[in-house]
Amino acid sequence: MLSERLQLKLYLEPSQHFEVEALIPVFHRFIREQLIRELLIDVVDYSHVPNGPGVVLIGHGADFYLGALDGAYGLVYSRKRGGPGPEARLEDALRRLIDAARLLEQDPTVQLRFKSGELSLRLTDRLHAPNDDATFAGVKAEVEALFGRIYGGEIAVERLAASGKEPLSLRVRASGSPALEALLEKLGGPPSVAS
Amino acid sequence: MTVATTWKQKLAGQMREDWAREIDIFETQIELRKKGKVEEKLFAETRLRRGTYGQRYDNGQRHDGEKTQTLAFPSGELTKGPVTMWDAPGMQRIKIPYGKLTADQLDTLSELAEEYSDQILHITTRQDIQLHFIHIEDTPDLMRRLAAVGITTREACGNTVRNVTACPYAGVCNTESFDVIPYANALTFFLLGHPDTQDFGRKFKVAFSGCKDEPCGLTNFHDAGAIARTRTVNGEVKRGFEFYVGGGLGAVPYPATLFDEFLPEEELLPITQAVCRVFARLGERENRARARLKFVVKKLGIEEFKRLVLEERGKLRPDERWVSFLSDLHVTDEKPLKPGSELVPGRYPDGFDAWRRTNVQPQSQKGYSTAKVTLPLGDFTPAQGRLMAELARRYTGDSMRATVEQNLLFRWVSNADLPAFYGELAQAGLGMAGADHITDVTSCPGTDTCKLGISSSRGLATELHKQLTVIAEQLDPAAQGLHIKCSGCSNSCGQHHVADMGFLGVSRNMNGRRVPHFQLVIGGQYKNNAGSYGLAIGAIPSKHVPKAVKTLTDRFVAEKLAGETFQAFVARIGKKEIRKLVDQLSVIPSYEQDPSFYSDWGDPREYTIGDLGVGECAGEVVPLVQVGLANSERELFEAQLLLDDGNSDNAAARAFSAMVLAAQALTREKNSFLGEGVDEIVSEFRTHYYDTKLFFDPFAGGKFAHYFFRAYEHRSEAGASKEGAHQLIEEAQLFVEAAHQCYTRIAGALP
Repeated sequence: MLSERLQLKLYLEPSQHFEVEALIPVFHRFIREQLIRELLIDVVDYSHVPNGPGVVLIGHGADFYLGALDGAYGLVYSRKRGGPGPEARLEDALRRLIDAARLLEQDPTVQLRFKSGELSLRLTDRLHAPNDDATFAGVKAEVEALFGRIYGGEIAVERLAASGKEPLSLRVRASGSPALEALLEKLGGPPSVAS
Repeated sequence: MTVATTWKQKLAGQMREDWAREIDIFETQIELRKKGKVEEKLFAETRLRRGTYGQRYDNGQRHDGEKTQTLAFPSGELTKGPVTMWDAPGMQRIKIPYGKLTADQLDTLSELAEEYSDQILHITTRQDIQLHFIHIEDTPDLMRRLAAVGITTREACGNTVRNVTACPYAGVCNTESFDVIPYANALTFFLLGHPDTQDFGRKFKVAFSGCKDEPCGLTNFHDAGAIARTRTVNGEVKRGFEFYVGGGLGAVPYPATLFDEFLPEEELLPITQAVCRVFARLGERENRARARLKFVVKKLGIEEFKRLVLEERGKLRPDERWVSFLSDLHVTDEKPLKPGSELVPGRYPDGFDAWRRTNVQPQSQKGYSTAKVTLPLGDFTPAQGRLMAELARRYTGDSMRATVEQNLLFRWVSNADLPAFYGELAQAGLGMAGADHITDVTSCPGTDTCKLGISSSRGLATELHKQLTVIAEQLDPAAQGLHIKCSGCSNSCGQHHVADMGFLGVSRNMNGRRVPHFQLVIGGQYKNNAGSYGLAIGAIPSKHVPKAVKTLTDRFVAEKLAGETFQAFVARIGKKEIRKLVDQLSVIPSYEQDPSFYSDWGDPREYTIGDLGVGECAGEVVPLVQVGLANSERELFEAQLLLDDGNSDNAAARAFSAMVLAAQALTREKNSFLGEGVDEIVSEFRTHYYDTKLFFDPFAGGKFAHYFFRAYEHRSEAGASKEGAHQLIEEAQLFVEAAHQCYTRIAGALP
């Protein structure tokens, strides 16, 4: 994937009732106890912004958002810089996203549940990944290959946001909804080094 | 066809040549700094002049609530300024002259927030846009993309002419003398990069207003403020400006002084240029804390300052730009997309009526209205930015204004379109009513991202917004119209001095722990271009501030006289009454009973971070210090009451006395034999706290001690003016706050 900047999102089960501000102390704990293999810097509360990023865990190479930027609550892994080369970029993002989601599911104070079989991908790099048919075709093939290998079964990839002003966005649906632990195992377990 | 692999390639030919060249140079300087070939201070000044600021934790240290952790940035010890790590995320300030944004510009800004920042665009209290958590190496491309849509970040920060602000209603306002925008536009680009504005000791801010009585321009707290005026001479209407100089907020606010009651339009640019030259020549260089123009005007007096400016004006080499813009004052006119119309009665979308009451105003042009989009804390997302750009294209004809209340104003909405326009905003979560009302709390970044923040102004503003929104509909209309503004420290970026209720972040040591507080500032005037400034009544624990707002609001509604403003109400009941409330709310539970009081809004980390041991010595000394500091605060409050009674001399004396008490309290810890004599207290304070730099603020250095020494030098001078007493009280307030901070440091509760 040529785009260095990408955002991968895992959605929450829609039936959950939670206050997004409850994530603030959780993300602070992630920093304090260094639970995520990223250089983490701070937590920012944007819960006052409707359809906003919610609560953000700011990192050096990547951020995590627990918010509803596209209207539905979920966890976003946002790669900003650095990280592995183009061939490993998407898989690395998926692994780090699943790892963080797993930690949130395990946190007793928020008790979140994610729909593991539905994700979205946004390429926030208009220079290297313009929102056009050619980019979509290349990314679709890469997504199908990776998700097919990790999830198994049929993978449906749908292009979102056809407007050229939006970043190229895709919805990815797997046929099943496997446990996050199982997915993480297939991805090689929790990342061992900071990105 | 060659595919562009960099933004520089992709945007070649789309940027002004000089702007493109400046950005190339900045990119080169980044590379040179990485190789150690540019000194860090020089690089810091360079990036500041391009609007690229530091943020909190950029020294590579962050307290996680239990201990300080080092942020192991990949670039190691490389810095982008003194004690500023290269990889630490920073803030990019983007100048938006007089807040005017086109749809294309808003689209681009949205893209930048999406790609380089944290998915949020932030409107500041000076009509800029800020993006946070930006890496220094992303800034050249970010600047190129802005330049391609006609925006430069040049001189957005640093010791320069900052963003020129203006009333967002200019040109469509019902009370203006004339549209000030062509003048603001001409002055913006005349001063940008001008040789006479490159050598200041401090920043220089300019504001325009179309009329005197409304608040929109806030000219009273700017270095140069221009209010539109007309004068009829021999039957011909002449345009000019009521021109003010030397205003400013900051730690000690100064109201602007009238320079000329009618500065002819053709003299606006040359006189401002001459003011800049005098400021560059006579402004303080060594002591940053006294380097703004307000200190020059204060020191010289307005008559001497004016004489120097006019003398300078006489020496200026003529510049055709001074008047060339006057031949086409319509260059900034806007063409509405649709014809004016009337709102058609019918069934409107839910929430429309409430939104229309607070967010819509009729324009001076029949059939059109302005419509304000309420943006909580000035924040919005890239998707919302794109939607607003699209609405501008479809409804109004491409023009929006960022406002100093941190909202976005649409102009030229044809009245019949208002319901549909609102409907589209509401669908994107942007249909909130209450713009510029009590729920629309203004805030600076505070401890969220600012290095100077003491308390979480954004956290407080968010909480107040949430609590007040629930009850907004039930509030008395008089209460709905109140303004609340929050600053995270005394530097006043949240403009707390000109609110009905202003809050500025401070901290206090209580029960052996550090507790976030906010000083309540009452009596400020928002109207009349921020006509007068409020004074701090006392410090309230952060978690009690919402209760203070509710109690004050309820009392105002219950006891106000017909037509009485909040400012008049406060003056009538007296600050003693307000102080009683502050005193009641100053008590908090012990940490064991409720630890939430010991952390700030929106941040669960313990605000008190020191493992404060209560040794015998500390056990004896600490209460004595606290008693002394409390006495100094009480003295300060008495000074305010005297000032309110018109007794300026005694008010000034009491303000100085408050400083003495605070200094005495601190100094007794070092010299237990210290007596009551002022000379001895000043001398001993200087020895133990100033010469040792123990009293120095991490950012302001010895500034607050200088206030004390200066007050001591001038203590025998009788005949203090009201303005002088007001200023001394402000300085005493800061000195006492600094004493609190110093005490906290020496008690070991600060890292």
